[in-house]
Amino acid sequence: MSKELTDAIVGMDEDGAMRLVSSMLDAGADPAEVLEEAKAAMTVLGDKFECEEVFIPELIMGGEIMKGIADELKPRIKGEAAVADRGTIVLGTVAGDIHDIGKDVVVLMLDVNGYDVHDLGIDVPIDRFVAAINEMRPQVVGLSGLLTLAFDSMKATIEGIGDAGLRDQVKIMIGGSPVDEQICTYTGADGWGRDAAAALRMAAEWTGSAT
Amino acid sequence: MTQTPEELYAQREQRFNDVVALKKPDRVPIMPLYVHNFPTLIKGVSNKDAGYDHELRWQSTKEATLRFGWNFAPTNDVLASDFFASFGCQQMMWAGEEGGLAEDAPHQWVEDDYVKADELAEFIADPNGFTFNKIFPRMGSKLEGLGQIPLPPLYWFSNSYYLQVLGNMLGIPPLKAALQAMLDMAEAQEKTNAANGKYLQEMKDLGYPPTWGAALMPAFDAVSDTFRSLRGSTLDMFRQPDTLLQAVDVMQEGTIGLLHAAFAVTGIPRQFIPMHKGAGGFMSNEQFAKFYWPTFRALIEECVAAGITPMPLFEGDYTPRLEFLAELPPGKVAAHFDRIDRKKFKEVCGDTMCFWGNVPSSLLVTGTPQQVKDDVKELIDLFGETGLIIDGPGGIPDQAKPENVEALAEAVEEFGAL
Repeated sequence: MSKELTDAIVGMDEDGAMRLVSSMLDAGADPAEVLEEAKAAMTVLGDKFECEEVFIPELIMGGEIMKGIADELKPRIKGEAAVADRGTIVLGTVAGDIHDIGKDVVVLMLDVNGYDVHDLGIDVPIDRFVAAINEMRPQVVGLSGLLTLAFDSMKATIEGIGDAGLRDQVKIMIGGSPVDEQICTYTGADGWGRDAAAALRMAAEWTGSAT
Repeated sequence: MTQTPEELYAQREQRFNDVVALKKPDRVPIMPLYVHNFPTLIKGVSNKDAGYDHELRWQSTKEATLRFGWNFAPTNDVLASDFFASFGCQQMMWAGEEGGLAEDAPHQWVEDDYVKADELAEFIADPNGFTFNKIFPRMGSKLEGLGQIPLPPLYWFSNSYYLQVLGNMLGIPPLKAALQAMLDMAEAQEKTNAANGKYLQEMKDLGYPPTWGAALMPAFDAVSDTFRSLRGSTLDMFRQPDTLLQAVDVMQEGTIGLLHAAFAVTGIPRQFIPMHKGAGGFMSNEQFAKFYWPTFRALIEECVAAGITPMPLFEGDYTPRLEFLAELPPGKVAAHFDRIDRKKFKEVCGDTMCFWGNVPSSLLVTGTPQQVKDDVKELIDLFGETGLIIDGPGGIPDQAKPENVEALAEAVEEFGAL
């Protein structure tokens, strides 16, 4: 792995990272390998986020640098790009709530850490979660919410997944600022968290994939 | 002996002022920083109806204040739906608008980059013109006409002959429609103000001071929340930090201007300051020191200098920022907390500011009265002698169980007479 490229991305040096990618390609590097190296830098950022060495701005900016690199590399990659293989995750903000800041950061971090993430968006009704589970067969479902009305929406969604006979096929995490252990118990979720680091920990544990 | 409303008013205000000044009050007050739909939901009123029926909303707030033993008359912070409908608001969703939210959903802000990255410099160069021509049309579908004419300097029309030019401009159909929308805005605002004014007078007659007169975001939040979005302002922090800081400085001038303008109108010496993007996790302490803290601190100091008690709501977890907060003027800030390490707060900021909050939503909504009482007791044990106001994490949550809100008062009755 190119330490220089990692350092540039982790150091938020957008221009430097793009220059390095160009020079690696000029030197004959495999675009697919360069992309994997860039993704590995995001894993470093995720680890630093978990240790509170970096915060949401670095995750967002890192994701932006990553997107720029991917846009540059993907047209040059022949054949199928490497598929995410750490597990499939369906998530969304529950019915009645349209907040997406927290969910989007979680989606970003799960995505760059190798999960196949299906973001259902905001104000997601129960039947869309059920349909997505039937279609995508995820190991993990994530329910996000900021409002206190989300407590009941999360509970109803988890009950709806149970009514559809799917509860034992998925692990369910809930997240958002007002969520805590009490709400986890109330909703019947398997775990809860307030940030992307917690989501990554649960996803890794539940899919049996190493971080 | 029965106290007169005037005496009760003075006693309640003194109780609050003592807590803020870190003096021991006669008892621990319960004060929602605000309420949203809790007072109407417990009466079976839908959020849709609460947004449009201002009289019902404010009268329900009065009933809740009396029923649950609150110290001040809280602001009902549910937005007046007809006001936002009057200009075709594009930044908010609510129950009752066409294509809007379900009847049981509250008003919700739609965060987006309403001002693009390359437009910040344009805003800085001409805040008035940019707001009139670019931001107003984006805020409301009925204000789009304002974007269709260049706003000339007003002195161009400084005599009656030249005013004909302005008359011609105002007659352009899209602009005429925008002016009509502005009249509709004024009419809608008059209706909600009338209901609010009636509530405040009735509460005053009963001996309840108003909690606050106006809400003002710190300048960084105004830029991040309402102009650039979290993603946009984050990218600005790395790609154009100086431009972002200049935009925050321009916004700060507006914030300070609005602070004094609102005080002149309401005469209420208490200023609510909702905070978002400065919370732990949203940025590092270094980034906080550079982008958020200077204008926030200046806003607090401006309030204090004007004799206004600032009421910042530190939404999210501000434990990582406690060393900053300890620099604020001692005994002047009514600091309201959402989530925070209570013991660490006492250790770092206990001599600087009172503690307002923060019984968790999870307890108020899904817990038992005993759980709520236990939490209030913990707060009183920690802060009762040194400045405490009881509330939820940011007012009373909409879905709180009434028996849990009653438990706040029961706990104060049991443990809060100092």
